[in-house]
Amino acid sequence: MTVDQSAPSAPPEPPAPLERTFSEESVATAVAENDLEQIGVRPTLGTYFREMWRYRPLVQVMAISKAEAENQNTYLGQVWALVSPTINAMVYVLIFGFLLKIGREGIENTIAFIVVGVFMFRFFERSVMAGAHSLQKNLSLVRSVQFPRGVLPTAGVLAELTMLVPAIVVMCVISYLSGFLPIAGRVTIDAYWLLLVPAVLLMWVFSTGCAFISARLVAQTPDIDNLLPHFMRILMYASGVIFSVDRYLGQFSWGWIMEYQPVAVYLYLVRSSILDEPAYQPDAFMWLMGVVWAVLFGVLGFLFFWAGEERYGRD
Amino acid sequence: MTDTDEVDFEIDGEELGDAPVLEIPSDRLSLLVNDLHVSYRVFGAKKVGHGPAQDWGLLGRLVRRGAKQPPVREVKAVRGISFAAKHGEAIGIIGVNGSGKSTLLRAIAGLIPPASGTVHVAGNPALLGVNAVLMKDLTGARNITIGALALGLSRKQVNERFDEIVDFAEIGEFVNMPMKSYSSGMGARLRFSISASAVPDILMIDEALATGDAGFRAKSKAKMDEVRKAAGTVFLVSHSLATIQAMCNRVLWIHEGKLVMDGNPKEVCVAYRDFVHGNHAYKVAQQKKAATKNS
Repeated sequence: MTVDQSAPSAPPEPPAPLERTFSEESVATAVAENDLEQIGVRPTLGTYFREMWRYRPLVQVMAISKAEAENQNTYLGQVWALVSPTINAMVYVLIFGFLLKIGREGIENTIAFIVVGVFMFRFFERSVMAGAHSLQKNLSLVRSVQFPRGVLPTAGVLAELTMLVPAIVVMCVISYLSGFLPIAGRVTIDAYWLLLVPAVLLMWVFSTGCAFISARLVAQTPDIDNLLPHFMRILMYASGVIFSVDRYLGQFSWGWIMEYQPVAVYLYLVRSSILDEPAYQPDAFMWLMGVVWAVLFGVLGFLFFWAGEERYGRD
Repeated sequence: MTDTDEVDFEIDGEELGDAPVLEIPSDRLSLLVNDLHVSYRVFGAKKVGHGPAQDWGLLGRLVRRGAKQPPVREVKAVRGISFAAKHGEAIGIIGVNGSGKSTLLRAIAGLIPPASGTVHVAGNPALLGVNAVLMKDLTGARNITIGALALGLSRKQVNERFDEIVDFAEIGEFVNMPMKSYSSGMGARLRFSISASAVPDILMIDEALATGDAGFRAKSKAKMDEVRKAAGTVFLVSHSLATIQAMCNRVLWIHEGKLVMDGNPKEVCVAYRDFVHGNHAYKVAQQKKAATKNS
């Protein structure tokens, strides 16, 4: 056995670390003299809001890009944005409207009722999921550029709104045409249809608030992402997407909670605008609730998201 | 100089030209880092980072059913670094893989909050990394718009500089193709030109110059000099000591999350090279020893 004498017997050591720190006073003087700003700290609420406002072109561009890229990898492309919710709604109409018949109790036009419910709920559900994934999906951007992170969930929901517009046209057409079927009640086009616009806008503000909340929750605890679909499923049955809440849950003492919870309120508003259901007539109190929920969730969601601002992108 | 699309990591020093490193004297500080510690969470890690595992207690052990390591580990990537940078300085950061160079840059850019310590900067830092893939499903044009807007440019400025960014990146008609169809060199060039478009106060380049041909490297150096002339500070992380020596006038050597040397490029690079070569020689000797023992 020969040992190479020239080989080093121990790994070389790097120089000893420079254990130096600046004193707090010297940092304070240097900061004052050179107008430095501390980074890695959360901006104040006012600054953050102004920054978000300044970055609204980014929100728009990201939303449009996301909506465009959504169905890019398929042959039919954007047509899927219309076809997929339609098929989804048809499945529910078939099962709950015609096989189980629970979608027919207290409802005159089951097809229109379920189609509107499914299309609008889908928007809400996708918005919350978009918020939940917004930080993770844009991690590379988050890790390279400093900008208010609130842009990401906002853009995610705006993308869903962009995709909702053509879907709403399809929804209205299906609802109107279903009125000609002998088994279903008539759907008439009247001035109330204009109320669809404020109803959707209120729902959009509410969904953005929810997206802020889901974004922070999932960023902090990724496990919540696995619970969200189940929560959404429960919410779907609790909001009267495919059957009348009033009819099935109204008999319980807590039924009113289900009627006035936000998602049910927005479904009521949209249905009261388009459909001619006797059980869903335009109602001033429901509109008030719609405004209250939108403002409440919009503000709370924004505050909740802002409170975690400096921590996003750390993991 | 050749225009081939080769990617070489050991850049020939002469390729970068003999022009001396630009000297811009300034006494004003642009960056002050004091006792910076950065740690981050890693999910599903087995054993990473330095130091012992944190104690999870009884409940934690129950939850993870006797697994030796907790599912979430705290990695201490930067462990107490202090330095001040001046306007117009070009600072190279060297160190072996995993020494915390990139984490340090991210913390300076405000992308990772410090666990303790402070970072003060003048103006808005922009970090540019090779790994920072923008959005691969979107076209280059969209990525330029999104990247430039995210850097804080206004819509009007983006429209004005759009052509300039495309020309600088030399991607030609690929600008309308999704970024996933780009070669790694094209992607890196595009990212560099987007980041440089804002003429940030602090430009940080994370091993970006290793990708791209000789011509592009010369252009990058010109862009870096432009940033420095506009009183900006440039940070450059690279494994190529030739690049560091050709472009920087100060070098920091980071080892295991700590600053071990801070000084002029020649001195630090020589010490670092000796360390790396010594380490390599030691490893080779160890392997030889093991091989002879086994035979």
